[in-house]
Amino acid sequence: MLQILFNGLVSGLLVALPALALALSFSILRFANFALGAMLTLGAYVIYFFNVVLGWPIQFAALVGIPLGGLIAVAVDWLVYLPLRGRSGVTLLVASMGVALVMENAVRFAAGGTPLGYDVEPARPTRFPSLDVLGGLRVNHEQWLIAAVGLSSLVVVWALFSYSRLGRAMRAVADNAALAAVRGVSLNRTVAAMWFVSGALATAGGLLIGLDATLDPQMGWNYLLPVFAAAILGGIDKPMAAVFGALVMGVASELSTLVIPSHYRTVVAFGVLAALLLVRPWGVFGQARVTR
Amino acid sequence: MAPYFLSLMMLIAIAGIAALGLNVQWGLTGLVNFGLFGFYMFAAYVCAHLTKSSFDPWLAMVVAVVLTALASACVSLISIRLSDDYLAIVTLGAAECLKLVVIHEEWLTRGSLGISNIARPVAGDAPLLLLTLALLGGVFVLFELVARAPLGRAARAIRDDPLVAATLGKHVLALRLRLFALGGGAIGLAGCLHAFYYQYIDPTQFGPILTAYAFMNVIIGGRGSNRGILLSTFTVVLLLEGTRFLNDYVAWLSSSQLAALRLMLVGLGLILALIFKPEGFVREYRLKVGRSSGAS
Repeated sequence: MLQILFNGLVSGLLVALPALALALSFSILRFANFALGAMLTLGAYVIYFFNVVLGWPIQFAALVGIPLGGLIAVAVDWLVYLPLRGRSGVTLLVASMGVALVMENAVRFAAGGTPLGYDVEPARPTRFPSLDVLGGLRVNHEQWLIAAVGLSSLVVVWALFSYSRLGRAMRAVADNAALAAVRGVSLNRTVAAMWFVSGALATAGGLLIGLDATLDPQMGWNYLLPVFAAAILGGIDKPMAAVFGALVMGVASELSTLVIPSHYRTVVAFGVLAALLLVRPWGVFGQARVTR
Repeated sequence: MAPYFLSLMMLIAIAGIAALGLNVQWGLTGLVNFGLFGFYMFAAYVCAHLTKSSFDPWLAMVVAVVLTALASACVSLISIRLSDDYLAIVTLGAAECLKLVVIHEEWLTRGSLGISNIARPVAGDAPLLLLTLALLGGVFVLFELVARAPLGRAARAIRDDPLVAATLGKHVLALRLRLFALGGGAIGLAGCLHAFYYQYIDPTQFGPILTAYAFMNVIIGGRGSNRGILLSTFTVVLLLEGTRFLNDYVAWLSSSQLAALRLMLVGLGLILALIFKPEGFVREYRLKVGRSSGAS
């Protein structure tokens, strides 16, 4: 039981970073970014390039790859979303589908479709004998890494969002873009910063998912639905609430494997999403507005 | 050459029917259906299954189309009262889940083995092509009529501003549901024809790329314009499928790399069309009010 809960929390952390990225872009630009899955894939492969092709240790590869992922997201914004700003959310939505196609197939073009893995040293799982009364707990090396990277990224983003000038600017734009502009908050700079954070988070998410399983061009696409479900569960315009949603989704999907075969995880995510949209579309922490 | 031409025309006609269906849903009514491929797959499987259980192929097609229309209505009901983003993710989610079911429930769908030897309503490739072209024409005429009918006007009103439409006494929810089901029916028809044409279906044939093709056709043709969509299907699909010839000439790229390149082109085409030609190449039908000679 304890093991299932723990695994659920870890797989929730996997979803938390991209869900946070999605909620960030939704809260500021008011559009659902379907290219997030592809961004995650691309980021994972960028780190793969440094890690395996150039042979760097995974820490350095991640340190270089994550900011690079952020820069890619800023570049995409500049090339695609900036010319479309001011158009309806639906236009941006469809454009993000196009971006997803380009990114995913660029990966497929460069790296092929076969699953790949990071170059990480295998290590023995850690056991906790003192917890045996609760059913025992073993933690993989990968799970330690996921927990460490996931939690520290969340803390960094939370601190940035709550205490920095930039974070305040982001919250102001999310709340009321026109008012923020009147008060001298530069929209373009804030949006660029948001894309940087969002791209970096997606890349970090891709790294974690690649560590947890393998890399393949479809990896991000397969996570898209759980990520959306998590973000909507928390309240899609409340970035930090998406983290809560992701953890709940992780535990729920891990628990569901007790009754439903594990290849139906996506179906569980969809079920949660559908139920939520019927009953409480603004999420657990969101306010009942903007949904119509 | 003749068999190739035949299969090309077949692909174009099927893509055209799917794009016309999407045009009713998204172009006319503004409902984003990212799960197009799921409904298409649903229809193909229902149709294949029914013909396998010795139904008449014609009857199987009709049943599959009706069921797909109903299924799209049911899926859209989850979020049709919410804003467009939610419908996009719900339809996409439904399609992905459906695909998982098709892959894993082997007792029902034979999983990755696929269903083979699907019976056709007419024998031979050429008659089937004629049938498909006739159905494409039929769907086109029907949707042109819808676009000019009060239903089409209401659809455009809902797309442009649901609040105003509701204020003027239109039942937004019911209209959306009806139009989404109508478009879903056309998408289902395309799925049936897919099953008839290939006579073999498996899960790998159906993916988000079908959705992307349909969106590209609608955007380039002009949202809401059925004529534009016919035009863009014939040119865009022709160009994209034509790149398959490149396989013989560019030896330094593997065929999977070329496939990836082709999909990148589709994505790029979507983005460029949205940025530079958002209204498409053919304007949608507008009822002219007042003196038709004077204005514009």
